[in-house]
Amino acid sequence: MLYAQNREIVIPGQLIAEGSHSIYGGAFKEGNRIYSSVIGLMNVRGQDIRVVPLGGRYVPRQGDVVIGVVMDSHHSGWILDLNSPYVGNLFVSDLAGRKVDLDKEDINQFLSMGDVVMAEIRDVDERMRVLLDAAGPGMGKIRGGKMVEISSAKVPRVIGKKGSMATVLQSTSGCKIKVGQNGRIMVWGDDQRMVNAVVEALLMIEREAHTSGLTDRVKQFLEKMKLEGK
Amino acid sequence: MYELVSTVKRDYIVDLARQGKRTDARALDQYREVSVETGLIESAQGSALVKIGNTQVLAGVKIEKGEPFPDTPSSGVLMVNAELRPIASPTFELGPPDENSIELARVVDRGIRESEAIDLDKLGITPGEEVWMVYIDLHALDHDGNLIDAASLAAVAALWNVKKLQVEGWTLEEFPVVKKPVAVTIAKIDGKLMVDPSLDEQNVMDARLTITTTEDDSICAMQKGGIGYLTVEEIKTAYELARAKAAELRKHLG
Amino acid sequence: MMEKPEKLIVDGKRLDGRSPDELRPLKIEAGVLKRADGSAYVEMGKNKVLAAVYGPRELHPRHLQQPDTAILRCRYNMAPFSVDERKRPGPDRRSVEISKVIREAFEPVVFTKLYPRSGIDVFIEVLQADAGTRTAGINAAAVALADAGVPMRDLVSSVAVGKVDDTIVLDLMKDEDNYGTTDMPIAMLPRKKVITLLQMDGHFTPEEFERAIELAMKGCEQIYEVQKQALKAKYSTKPEEE
Repeated sequence: MLYAQNREIVIPGQLIAEGSHSIYGGAFKEGNRIYSSVIGLMNVRGQDIRVVPLGGRYVPRQGDVVIGVVMDSHHSGWILDLNSPYVGNLFVSDLAGRKVDLDKEDINQFLSMGDVVMAEIRDVDERMRVLLDAAGPGMGKIRGGKMVEISSAKVPRVIGKKGSMATVLQSTSGCKIKVGQNGRIMVWGDDQRMVNAVVEALLMIEREAHTSGLTDRVKQFLEKMKLEGK
Repeated sequence: MYELVSTVKRDYIVDLARQGKRTDARALDQYREVSVETGLIESAQGSALVKIGNTQVLAGVKIEKGEPFPDTPSSGVLMVNAELRPIASPTFELGPPDENSIELARVVDRGIRESEAIDLDKLGITPGEEVWMVYIDLHALDHDGNLIDAASLAAVAALWNVKKLQVEGWTLEEFPVVKKPVAVTIAKIDGKLMVDPSLDEQNVMDARLTITTTEDDSICAMQKGGIGYLTVEEIKTAYELARAKAAELRKHLG
Repeated sequence: MMEKPEKLIVDGKRLDGRSPDELRPLKIEAGVLKRADGSAYVEMGKNKVLAAVYGPRELHPRHLQQPDTAILRCRYNMAPFSVDERKRPGPDRRSVEISKVIREAFEPVVFTKLYPRSGIDVFIEVLQADAGTRTAGINAAAVALADAGVPMRDLVSSVAVGKVDDTIVLDLMKDEDNYGTTDMPIAMLPRKKVITLLQMDGHFTPEEFERAIELAMKGCEQIYEVQKQALKAKYSTKPEEE
């Protein structure tokens, strides 16, 4: 029994369903009744109910690719700010991709304070200690580009179904982007105007993530900016 | 608490500055959108909410009776206080005013006091015993850079918002505010000067200079901030910028 | 100081024209600040209150961290210009107590166990006061927490009831608070209709108390509707057309 419709905006404490559904995202059960715990978008698929949060801070999950900023270092690695209540731990061997002899090598040659790193979350334990791996392909220290921070809840919209939105952003603007699940996005481009246009497009996606027809609007916007630049 | 700035962000801002550009596509001599709303707090004798971009500062003027300073028995007293509370930024902490709130209050105070924007001699009641105390309280609501200019503008707008006062039988027919001093803050990044630094710019700048001028272009207050330095040429250029921008900002005061 | 009015209710109307069971005009806006994770602005009668939420975020100092739960912290503050007689900046004993009871009003609803070792900070700034600032603060904080995406079991709605001229009245304004006999702020979870804040000073017979609680809960239900609208309004703006 559903009390809210698919794609309806629901608020904390709102009764959304009753009965034996599987629940995901910002929903919780009390006895037989299901409620939303956040302000979010109601999503129903068969017996599954998901409340997609429209906001909220990033909570690290295993497998996510994130963009972190080095905020502290220690004997064998670094602590990265993840724009989250939780920091990431990166050991030097997980950046170099090999065993590092700490007596012979100085870890400061790898990273400094404030450096930006793309990494995968290898593990999160129940005390929310996050272990990062930055040795994989496409991972590691990021150079150049403009960093944009949006709400991590809107990142799926920036990527789009099967990467559709990310493709539109890059192919229409001629810029390159890398998206972190924690809401940080890097934008590179030779044309400063188009880089700024992509930034504006990202902010538009953040504002309108819950609406339909967004991919088309973003495409139109970027094409307009491209024409105006000529 | 200090603001962690990534090297990528810093490099990006500095690179753009080198080309005479800014991250939000503003010109070096361009302010973000400015708005001034007055009279919104009824419990205050005068009030103003100033927004510069996303930065928001609310100023409230309270006028009460109090004791004069011994050396100026017939003059009113001006007191400016600033609250930088955590509501406005994760870098603000609870507790007694820190050096940033104190500097902010004193710079705003200087602009108003040194320009003699308020004719304090008209605020005496009984010489040596009672005078009008003018309290300006600056409340930062949202910090996205350049709180100084927003706070100064809010303070002056709030003063001009004060109407005829009646407190306990004493009437102040006309509140004696006579000038409109305006503060303009200029940041230096990699040798380039730009007005109205955003938060990102403020976090990477070498130094800043705030210049407060009055309607006749004379300077009544200045304050250099930041750990870098300024050349004499830069200061002169900054003055020209401040003069022009102050005239623009002053239009928002009505 | 104004002199006490002869009567606070004349011909069934209160000093501001309201009937005893009527709320003051209420306006709520969500997401009004940029830096905070969530925020809300509330006008309840002449009260003007701003609430901001930061978090969940890393909790400092470290020794305050709890291994299995987030710590909820609340700070209620009045701006110096918010009251008739200027208030000296800084916390006073009243603000400390109010901060505590407001925090305790939210403890039962926030899913703190989802964010171990973190902190959730709620800041309430009273910009203009006219009695009932803590209730306005709670109404704002609830919307700000939801705006920040902090998971909750329910919103929290709050209003004060009191007794003036032997009549139970809803949503006291300043004169009623000053010259009436009783002031009772309450906060309620709208769904379960349970009370998470209750304070009272003055005098109630048991029967008056029952009527007062009923009236307060009706008031909270009306406030809940406005809070809901404020949250949904943020997401119902039409996408920008070209």
